[in-house]
Amino acid sequence: MKPAGVPTVFIIDDDRGMRQAVQDLVESVGLRAESFATGQEFLSRQPTSDPSCLVLDVRLPQMSGIDFQRRLTEIGVQMPIIFITAHGDVPMSVKALKSGAVEFLTKPFRDQDLLDAIQQALQRDRAAREQQAEVHGLHGRYQALTAREREVMGLVVSGMLNKQIASEIGASEATVKIHRGNVMQKMQAGSLIELVRIADKLKLVLPK
Amino acid sequence: MNIPRPSKILLVIVGAIGIGLRSSWRQARKQLGEGLPILKARVALAKANEDLKTAQTELQRRWEYLAEAQRLSHSGTFGWKVSNGELVWSDETYKILGFARETNPTIDLVFDRIHPEDRERLQQLRDRAAQNGMDLDVEHRILLPDGVIRYVHVVAHAGEDHSGDREYIGIVSDITERKRAEEERQALSRDLKESNARLEEAQRVAHVGYWEWDLGTGEVIWSDETYRIFGLKPQEHSMDLAMVREMVHPEDREALYSGVDVELESGVHPVAEFRIVTPSGEVRTVHAITSKLWSAIPGDPDKEASGKARKLFGTVQNVTELKRAEKAHHALSQDLRESKAWLEEAQRVAHLGYWVWDLETNQVIWSEETYRIFGLSPQVGSMDIAIVGEMLHPDDREAVFRTAEEAIRSGTRADCEHRLVRPDGEVRVVHSLGDLKRNSEGLTQMFGTTQDITDRKLAEQALRRSQFYLSEGERLAHMGSWASRDLGIRWSEDLDIYWSDEVYKIYGLDPKNGAPSLHQYLAAIHPQDRASMAETIKMMHEQRCGCDVTKRIVRPDGELRYVRCVGVPVVEDGVFQGFNGTTMDVTGQELLTQELRREQAYLAEAQGLTHVGSWACNLATREIFHSSDENARLYGFDPSQGPLPFELFYATILSEDERVIRPKLENAISTGTDYDVEFRIRRRDGAIRFLRGIGHHNPSQEVGEYFGITMDITDQKRAEEERERLRQLEADLAHINRVNMMGELATALAHEIKQPIAASVTSANALLRWLAHDPPDLERARAAAARIEQDANRAADVINSLRSFYRTGTPAERQIVDVKEIIGEMTVLLRIEADRHSVRIHPEVEADTPKVLVNRVQLQQVFMNLMLNAIEAMKDTGGELTIKSRANQESRLIVSISDTGVGLPAGRSEQIFDPFHTTKPQGTGMGLTITRSIVESYGGRVWATVNQGAGASFHFTLPGETEGQL
Repeated sequence: MKPAGVPTVFIIDDDRGMRQAVQDLVESVGLRAESFATGQEFLSRQPTSDPSCLVLDVRLPQMSGIDFQRRLTEIGVQMPIIFITAHGDVPMSVKALKSGAVEFLTKPFRDQDLLDAIQQALQRDRAAREQQAEVHGLHGRYQALTAREREVMGLVVSGMLNKQIASEIGASEATVKIHRGNVMQKMQAGSLIELVRIADKLKLVLPK
Repeated sequence: MNIPRPSKILLVIVGAIGIGLRSSWRQARKQLGEGLPILKARVALAKANEDLKTAQTELQRRWEYLAEAQRLSHSGTFGWKVSNGELVWSDETYKILGFARETNPTIDLVFDRIHPEDRERLQQLRDRAAQNGMDLDVEHRILLPDGVIRYVHVVAHAGEDHSGDREYIGIVSDITERKRAEEERQALSRDLKESNARLEEAQRVAHVGYWEWDLGTGEVIWSDETYRIFGLKPQEHSMDLAMVREMVHPEDREALYSGVDVELESGVHPVAEFRIVTPSGEVRTVHAITSKLWSAIPGDPDKEASGKARKLFGTVQNVTELKRAEKAHHALSQDLRESKAWLEEAQRVAHLGYWVWDLETNQVIWSEETYRIFGLSPQVGSMDIAIVGEMLHPDDREAVFRTAEEAIRSGTRADCEHRLVRPDGEVRVVHSLGDLKRNSEGLTQMFGTTQDITDRKLAEQALRRSQFYLSEGERLAHMGSWASRDLGIRWSEDLDIYWSDEVYKIYGLDPKNGAPSLHQYLAAIHPQDRASMAETIKMMHEQRCGCDVTKRIVRPDGELRYVRCVGVPVVEDGVFQGFNGTTMDVTGQELLTQELRREQAYLAEAQGLTHVGSWACNLATREIFHSSDENARLYGFDPSQGPLPFELFYATILSEDERVIRPKLENAISTGTDYDVEFRIRRRDGAIRFLRGIGHHNPSQEVGEYFGITMDITDQKRAEEERERLRQLEADLAHINRVNMMGELATALAHEIKQPIAASVTSANALLRWLAHDPPDLERARAAAARIEQDANRAADVINSLRSFYRTGTPAERQIVDVKEIIGEMTVLLRIEADRHSVRIHPEVEADTPKVLVNRVQLQQVFMNLMLNAIEAMKDTGGELTIKSRANQESRLIVSISDTGVGLPAGRSEQIFDPFHTTKPQGTGMGLTITRSIVESYGGRVWATVNQGAGASFHFTLPGETEGQL
């Protein structure tokens, strides 16, 4: 078990020399690196909760890098990817970037380019994880709401007044106010604005 | 019988002489007595003398005659003087009386000779004669000294001698024969009388009468019986011809009497049968035999001038009853004969003989046919049954006798078929039947028949066989027969046709339904042929002509058959009767013919297409025997123009080619060998064609005689040129290919080199960073540096491995390489590497491993690549590296390099050959790509297979040195 919080760079490249070189490079800047020859090997190692990114060779034995990227998305791995390749054709790079890769580098690349990309990726990952964590927390809070409360929350963030909400749900205004209070509390929202933002983050489906 | 009486004649003769003499003398005396002058008297005397001489001569002659006559007639003369008993005998008299000539004849002697029994009578006669001088005419016997009795006849006449004494002159004749004859005659006469009496009696008993018929007078003399036969009382009245004629039945009259005349003239004894009518009106049949009683003797005064007999004698017999019986008998006899003849014939024809077996005596009587059946010649008399038994076939003998015994015992008919063995050994099959009978004497007999059924049996067999063959033949020949009656104008309504079984079969119809009507018949015919068939039938019936058509029919089951129908009109005595014909299933032949025609068409087509002309000629004399149409066309001539001369053909050859082929042809002609030359010709239209002429010398013929073919090979030649060009193009293309590949490789190359270089760069970067640490991480830096070296080397290796490829880009340097050597070299080279990874190398080089025509270095490279790959696959685990090489079915080299390593990625056995592709950490990804391109450049193949156990096998083929393809 590794120490928590240490970002990890995962390297997948069928060329051993490359693997070793990149790993060495990454470690030389104090990052943690793990390398795999195949995507399959990598998948059997996941998951990790630390910020991490993936340095991926486009040409892999069983699956092209692009396909591997898709695969990862399919299984819900949102690790940022940096593509490295000995080729360097534009369409491929465009495709890769369009599908969300952080960077597309052709070998031989400047070490700094790679490191920068890695940083960027890690950052993204951290942010993503944080957000995820946040959303996760929010989601937890939301789960704590009762159904009524959720209903009220939805209507509140849609801009309805209490009175309107009351007539909408067929309850008294006073009841609405109580629900609203609970919601604010459970959701830890200081203001309506915050609640709205939370709702946004939760991507609630709001009634019209 | 007339017996001449010589004694009387003699007397006449003697008398005549005497008279003659006396008259002469008288004449003379008269002359003298008349007192004539002496001259006259002398003359008269002379004449008288002369007369005397003549008379003497005459006398002498007549005496001699007399003597001769006496001798011939056994008559002698004598003279007897009564007074003194003096006797004068002639010679013959001596002979007759049996005395010698010297003997002095006396009466006593005579009487000595007289037979004692007649002596007394003669003595009395003598005495009387002596007294009264009567004429003597007596017969008596004499007894000669030797005991012989003879009869004599004495005739004497008393006369006076010159002295007046009585003198008998007589003749004695030996009449013994006459007497004897007479006695015989008397005896005969007696017999005759007796016979006549008997005859009369016999006639009466036999109802045979006799008759005499005087042809001249017409007098008819009948015997009693004859009267009776004619229904008259015997000797009722005398008959004459006319009366007889009347009694003859009117209808037979003409035939009888005309016949008689004819027969008489020809001297035949006529026999006639005719009817008569008795006075009482009864009709009787008589049988008359006529004899000529007097036959005509030349000189016979009885004979008429024409020579016919004058009298007829004959018999007549009442044969009425006889006739009736005869008729009946004849009829019966005829019937019997006929029946017998038929029976014999029938027996013979039926080969049926009969036999009678007397069961008591065990004797058998056979008919002629039975003998024949048994192979014996017909005999008379009976045979013992045992002999018969011997002739039966040994195997059947017991059965036959058992059957007979059974029949005898039970009284039923015996019936068996059995064989018999003829004397000549031939075996015959017979059918014998026997019935028991009691004959007239009460003895038991078996009466039976035996029929030779051998031929029948054989015939049956043969018939059965031939019938079988016939029906088989018909069946095999699919030919049946048919016949139709003439129906006149009604022919269209009903064919009324007879079909043999085979015809039904051909048409696929059931004979039980009978022959089809015209409508039904036409319905069986294929729709397309129906109209013409109907037309043919119509024409046949209208014009009464035959037909010979082949048409299609459709059987009830839908099968199509070709059927040939041949018919001919039948005309008897000028009258049209109908048609007879045959029907034959010629489907086989038809299809065959169609096939043949098709093939012929194909052949003709093929001949036309292949532009091959055939010919036969004498190259030396330039005489053409045969030249096919195609031949003419090849040279640009029109075959319909007729035969072309040799020179015309030869002149089309381009001169430079002619110069080349002429010596070849001349050589061939002079050595009598075949030739095969190619040359160009210029056709009349200016076109240049390549021709190839192949000539085969006809060994049996003279020098220069060849037959052969000429082929237009222009297309082939062009094709060859094309091919040459293509080959060049191909080579160029291959070159370009290789260049392209190099271009492709360049990309792969770039990639493969980029990898180690990029790695080096990254490693170098890392190194620098390690060094930039505080304190610098020298360890890590050194490791990085080491990696850099490695990667650089890797890059260099890649370039190195390609160098030979680049260098030997041209395929020119090839040599015959022994694969075994290469394998050996590679094994040695890689042993160290193999050992390092615990890999054992097993070369398995088969003896039929062919040599290959390749660039040696390239082949080494191929082996190197594959073997390294194999070692790589096993480097972690070790294993077996097997190299197999042999010849495959097409005599190509096939090499298999197998490992027991990690094997191939699933489903990627083709992709591994792509450039870029590598599974090795240090792999260039180029090895298999280059391997494939090298092998394929030689026309070989590379592929990989997964082993059943562990690991993979890589195989490649290369053409053997014999193929030597580019």
